[in-house]
Amino acid sequence: MSNDDEMVGYRQQPGKLPFSRPGSGGKNQFSQLRDIQLIPESQGGKKLQPRGSHRHDELISGTSIGRPTALVDSKWKVTGKANYGDDIRLNNELIGKIVRSPHHYARVLSIDISKAVELEGVIAIATGADAQNSFGVLPVTKDEHAMAIEKVRHKGDLVACVAAIDESTALEAVRLIEVEYEVLDSIHDMRKGLDDSKYPIHDRGQYHIGESNVQKRVFQEFGNISEMVPNSIANHKSNWLFAGVNHGFTEPHAVVANWDPSGRLTLYTPQQVPHYVHRALADVLEIPMHQINVYRTFVGGGFGGKSDPFPHEMCAAILARKSGRPVRITFDREEVFWVNRGRHPSRIEMDIHADSHGRLCGVQTDALIDGGAFASFGHVTTYYNGVLHTAPYELGSFHYTGARVWTNKPASGAMRGHGAVNSRCAVEVGLDDIAEQLSVDPITFRLANLLPPYSATITGFRITSIGMRECLERVKIASDWDNKFRQLPLGHGIGIGCGFFISGSGLPIHWDPNKFPHATVHLKIDMDGGVTIHTGAADIGQGSDTVVAQSVAEVLGLPLDMIRVRSRETDTSPVDLGSYSSRVTFMNANAAISAAMEIRKDLLKAASKITDTEMNKLVIGDRRIFDKKDPAVGVSYLEALHKAQEDRGALTSSGSYRTPPMGRAHKGAAAGLAPAYSFSAYVAEVKVDMETGQTKVLEVWAAHDCGKALNPLSVKGQIIGSCHMGLGQVLSEEMKYGRGGELLNPDLLDYKIPSIHEMPKVNPIIVESNDLEGPFGAKEAGEGPLLPILPAVCNAVYDASGIRVNELPITGDRLYKEIEKKCKKLKINTPLNLPNPSLEHSDLQSILEIRASKHSERDMQRIMAEEKTPYHNGALFGMDPEIPGDEQDSKWEIRVVPDEEYLSNPRLAGSAWRHIERRKREG
Amino acid sequence: MPPFKLHTPSSLDEAFEIVNILREQNLDYDWVAGGTDLIPNYKWHINTKSNVISLSKIEELHKISKNHIGAMARLYDISQSSEIHPLIAKSASLVASVMIRRSATLGGNICLDTRCFWFNQSEEWRESIDYCHKCDCGTGADCRVIPNQNTLCVATYQADMAPVLMCLGTTIHMSSPEGNRSVPMKDFFKLDGITKNILLEDELVTHITLPDDVFEWEGDYQKLTQRDSWDFPEAGVAVLWKKGIKGPSELRVATTGIESIPRFHSEESQKIIETWSGSDSIEELAESIRKSVKPVLNTWFQPSYRRKMVKVLSRRASKGLLEI
Repeated sequence: MSNDDEMVGYRQQPGKLPFSRPGSGGKNQFSQLRDIQLIPESQGGKKLQPRGSHRHDELISGTSIGRPTALVDSKWKVTGKANYGDDIRLNNELIGKIVRSPHHYARVLSIDISKAVELEGVIAIATGADAQNSFGVLPVTKDEHAMAIEKVRHKGDLVACVAAIDESTALEAVRLIEVEYEVLDSIHDMRKGLDDSKYPIHDRGQYHIGESNVQKRVFQEFGNISEMVPNSIANHKSNWLFAGVNHGFTEPHAVVANWDPSGRLTLYTPQQVPHYVHRALADVLEIPMHQINVYRTFVGGGFGGKSDPFPHEMCAAILARKSGRPVRITFDREEVFWVNRGRHPSRIEMDIHADSHGRLCGVQTDALIDGGAFASFGHVTTYYNGVLHTAPYELGSFHYTGARVWTNKPASGAMRGHGAVNSRCAVEVGLDDIAEQLSVDPITFRLANLLPPYSATITGFRITSIGMRECLERVKIASDWDNKFRQLPLGHGIGIGCGFFISGSGLPIHWDPNKFPHATVHLKIDMDGGVTIHTGAADIGQGSDTVVAQSVAEVLGLPLDMIRVRSRETDTSPVDLGSYSSRVTFMNANAAISAAMEIRKDLLKAASKITDTEMNKLVIGDRRIFDKKDPAVGVSYLEALHKAQEDRGALTSSGSYRTPPMGRAHKGAAAGLAPAYSFSAYVAEVKVDMETGQTKVLEVWAAHDCGKALNPLSVKGQIIGSCHMGLGQVLSEEMKYGRGGELLNPDLLDYKIPSIHEMPKVNPIIVESNDLEGPFGAKEAGEGPLLPILPAVCNAVYDASGIRVNELPITGDRLYKEIEKKCKKLKINTPLNLPNPSLEHSDLQSILEIRASKHSERDMQRIMAEEKTPYHNGALFGMDPEIPGDEQDSKWEIRVVPDEEYLSNPRLAGSAWRHIERRKREG
Repeated sequence: MPPFKLHTPSSLDEAFEIVNILREQNLDYDWVAGGTDLIPNYKWHINTKSNVISLSKIEELHKISKNHIGAMARLYDISQSSEIHPLIAKSASLVASVMIRRSATLGGNICLDTRCFWFNQSEEWRESIDYCHKCDCGTGADCRVIPNQNTLCVATYQADMAPVLMCLGTTIHMSSPEGNRSVPMKDFFKLDGITKNILLEDELVTHITLPDDVFEWEGDYQKLTQRDSWDFPEAGVAVLWKKGIKGPSELRVATTGIESIPRFHSEESQKIIETWSGSDSIEELAESIRKSVKPVLNTWFQPSYRRKMVKVLSRRASKGLLEI
């Protein structure tokens, strides 16, 4: 195919190439050259970079990054061609159904399957005896089984399963299975979980905490605890109660398992973390991992609810093995609520202190979280409820006690904004109260207390880029804050809330000594010119396939239609840890960029040979490689590719990403560590009907710092979607339990997700802080945007009604109760005459304004500085910023175990520390 | 969903023929109109029957005119109709969601089954609490809302159409193989949550008729829900009046969504009309309605709150009275 006349150094016009080359695409070979509006200034383009240049700047070809891009799989979805879990149909399939516990807590005495076995059409039945090994998403807390081994731990817990020729036969068989139970006393109030119990829900052997149902407990103290109260001039105290919420994704769980003739299992499942399912299946089925192929189908929404390995996935595999036929299990909505893994019902005691300089001299948080029947991600959630609110503010001290207890409810787990949402809401509402007590504007108060970029939090998290200040400033202007706050009539209000979230967990769940990367991407390009990306990152609708395709397209200067993503099967894709903790864009795109850089080098080398131009003078545009100074000198992408393929064939490369070493050394230091963090600030405007207590959100201004919007369209989508989800939690969604502990609303009529009527206008504002380590500067935008909407609405409700809520969701009946109480207290006969909150600035306001503007300059200098000097939390309190507080002042200490004095009068969750672990008991 | 045989007669006579055949074979059946209430209940295995007779093909039941609305008139069509009383259209436009309204019917809404947290659940769920009085599956189970009384079902009637229709003096017409009969709408409902109404076995609602003075009535219907879409009313109040010289000459009030049947509050409204004195009377009316209703804990909002909101809704529905 080569022709020497064409291939050796020459000048040519674009579009005048021979058309016979494989993959040339006929006459339509080029769309355009580089789009210099999208090329950064540092590379000779026109794109402004107010925060300096980025290490990936030279890879920008102006083709894809930063352009609003339709998701690469969107056409599959909108045409109905996408196959979700239940769309997988294999020949000869059986339908699986699950026998579930009718009791909250019971011992399984016997299971009689004799009648069910005899039913015509029943092919296989399995019980706990068929799979004895335990599993769980975290290796430290493997407390789940495919089906009950000895006990059932919540209503809906799995007892047995049936595979039959059709659904009605399977259901009939389920009814014929007779189970004998011995009912045990169940626990439904999380506070009871702190007590010793006759039959703790799980037994952790020597690691069991007392005889209680405490699954995990955390104690942390940082900073100058001793001076917190003496220095305090304003104190906010509030005891919060957060109802549990479910993800409410559209697609219920569904799974298909099939053993092929070579003895390998393929499991088709809409999963966020195929890799952990892969591991769990190997454990439970007792076969090596290489005999299992986990096939991720299209996922109809995950939000954390499809990120555990699930018992029903094990059941399908076991039934398929027993029957020798494919088995499909699809949940109905009620079963989705039984498996749950939604946000923990929580009791959070928030205690915030500010000093006379308007600084936050202390935050004390106590969080008791209701884990339900299993551990799931709970170990991490317990930490996140504390450590994820140590930023973006500079703190004088931080005290956190947290405990997660088992109760006989469906298990709680990870849900969008994992562990950070409830305590963030409590903190931000607290700040609003503190600002009011100090008679200052709450936005100014926040602006004067922000950590600078490239700093360390009080717990030692390494913060890189911060766009918090810009977020606050932009929502302030966009919402016309200064003309509205505390100035709207009774029943009409505006409120601010901020957020902070990890952009990828720094610690992989399965910690191993091999330094495995968190994400790996393989590329393959053959003579057709199309690029195949192999990645294990699970696209759950968030657009990870699109991001990885965009990253590769950008580096290679190709349009998106030349990129195909193969991300479904563990057989072909390199291991990726999965779609949780907002890690995929950050880690997987970084891995993809590394892989694409290798290919790019091969292409430039080949182009350099052909054109006889030095490699560093060549740049990549849309399907063309050419001289930067003289664009007429160049070759087409295909020519360069074919040259690079000489004697070698298809180009392949592998790229990976692993987080750098970070953080400090105390127990629990790794929880909450991330290579970067996202920041956000929202303003919500609400109307409260004072006579009914019903709240309507009118408009939201939502600024989110995602580092760099690789695809602004999907960043905006994530912001708007997060608002919808957060509004559900703050206004109407709750898992309601009856007096006997029954879940009363396991359906989408009574589990009240906001409808289109409740959805306000959301004005998404993208802030780009250009993170130095993120791919092209990007950070997460999937979970962080949910956090601020809750406190923004709570604070707006206060501005409208004068009621400080401390219970979510703020349903009409809850708010009206508070309105009534206030009327009674103030002896006012109608809520319409309640006083409207007002604000008259104190002297502190101007002091804070001056500090905020000084900090703003400081931040800009730190961003632009070549060498970033260390900045540890504490400098605002007169400490040396270059050294961590505890290394320069004995008052600034780190403690992770409570002392006797604390235990003599612990807070609610802190009382979990009164128990002694079995292994530490005498005798 | 449990399998059932669907019959689609095209006239009432044909429908009653099917009924006779089923009865001869000792088979059970349900009437189905729009299906938006019955089918979800069937999915949950609640009081399912082996046969279902659909009324959708019976032409005469679909009619809408200013004095006559057929039982099979779709709520969406009623909400869009300019012929009928605007408050009937308003009530219809507030039911559930637009998709539900496209198939739900007037007759179905009037005859809506009562609802309860302990009842509207899947079969496994109800089995796990040993069922309840309303659908005891042969267990003789007790009521789960107010235990230790095995006689009364307190499930809540949560339909929107009844209050306004009651206040407008509607007559409801029924038909069965035995013949036809009519009663005033306000006498149609009958306690408890299981009995619901006076329909006899094999009887169905064919249509409603409205009196000649219907357009002399004005007023409002107000409802309480968590969301503006989908949700059943947690409370609903209709206040209607005829204009007099100083204030209303006649006043009628009806409530829904609070008890096992909708209530027509003739006593309370009568008292107000006799002593009419403007806004104080409205306050008095609202308070007397609040006092007279007794919600229980079996829907989304707390009963005490629903009761208090009845007062607010009554006041709001009466607002127009001040403009007379």
